[in-house]
Amino acid sequence: MLPKLDPLLHSELRLAVMSILAGVEDADFTYLKKQTGATSGNLSVQIDKLSAAGYITVDKGFKGKVPCTTCKITSAGLDAFEKYVNALKEYLI
Amino acid sequence: MENNEQKNEMTAQQSLNIISEMINDSRRTILQSSAKHFILWGSLLIFVSLVVYGLWQSSGSPVWNVVWFVMPALGFPIVRILDRKDSDIPQSKINMNIGLIWLTYCIFAVCISVIAMLWVPMNLTLVLVVIFGFAQCVSGFILKNWTIIVSGFILGIGGAVAASLLFGPEQLLIFTIGGIMLVVTGLIIKSQYK
Repeated sequence: MLPKLDPLLHSELRLAVMSILAGVEDADFTYLKKQTGATSGNLSVQIDKLSAAGYITVDKGFKGKVPCTTCKITSAGLDAFEKYVNALKEYLI
Repeated sequence: MENNEQKNEMTAQQSLNIISEMINDSRRTILQSSAKHFILWGSLLIFVSLVVYGLWQSSGSPVWNVVWFVMPALGFPIVRILDRKDSDIPQSKINMNIGLIWLTYCIFAVCISVIAMLWVPMNLTLVLVVIFGFAQCVSGFILKNWTIIVSGFILGIGGAVAASLLFGPEQLLIFTIGGIMLVVTGLIIKSQYK
């Protein structure tokens, strides 16, 4: 029987955000927006969902005088991402 | 990715495509930005080595080696300006490790140079070129690029032999070649991750 895919990760934008965050120390909102091509509103909603699930942490601060939102993947997020990728592989076998 | 709610009908293949596309794009952006550092330090190395070579050659005095300290004094502020421009680009394990390797090289180079100039005379060029080649080689392994690995190996080993055979200002030309290799490394990264 095929494993169930994590519904939180099985969405284009959230998966894209998690894929980026899995490979970096942290990333700010502007960078995520540029890389995913998403709108600010949509990205913001999806980031909140990932944060509420404990998959990422969100820090709101300043870079100089400019507000800056920084996202970082948590170990729970990394675990979930790894399980998701492993589950995907089984779908393709 | 514009639409709000999620496409749960996404196939496994589509999901994997998104993951690999995002990882590759992000890696490309990050490495493109780190290529600038190779080009900057390589250019500075070429410039300073040729200046010291010219001054030493014309005056006959090795005291001009003190000009080397201009390199970090000039290089680090430029790096800060470049990094400020790319402030939204995150750090990946790859560019963080490469940055640490070259920072360690820089600290070693400055400390050994001070020791050699003030207390224990040694074949400074030989020591510096060997660790330079080593740093270049390790950077190549991290970037998984054979051109960089081989160039580091040639520079380290060939440079050590050349440093033992050459004397006086001619030794400095080894660093000019090292600078050229750094610039080429930067250009390779740029083209590899275009």
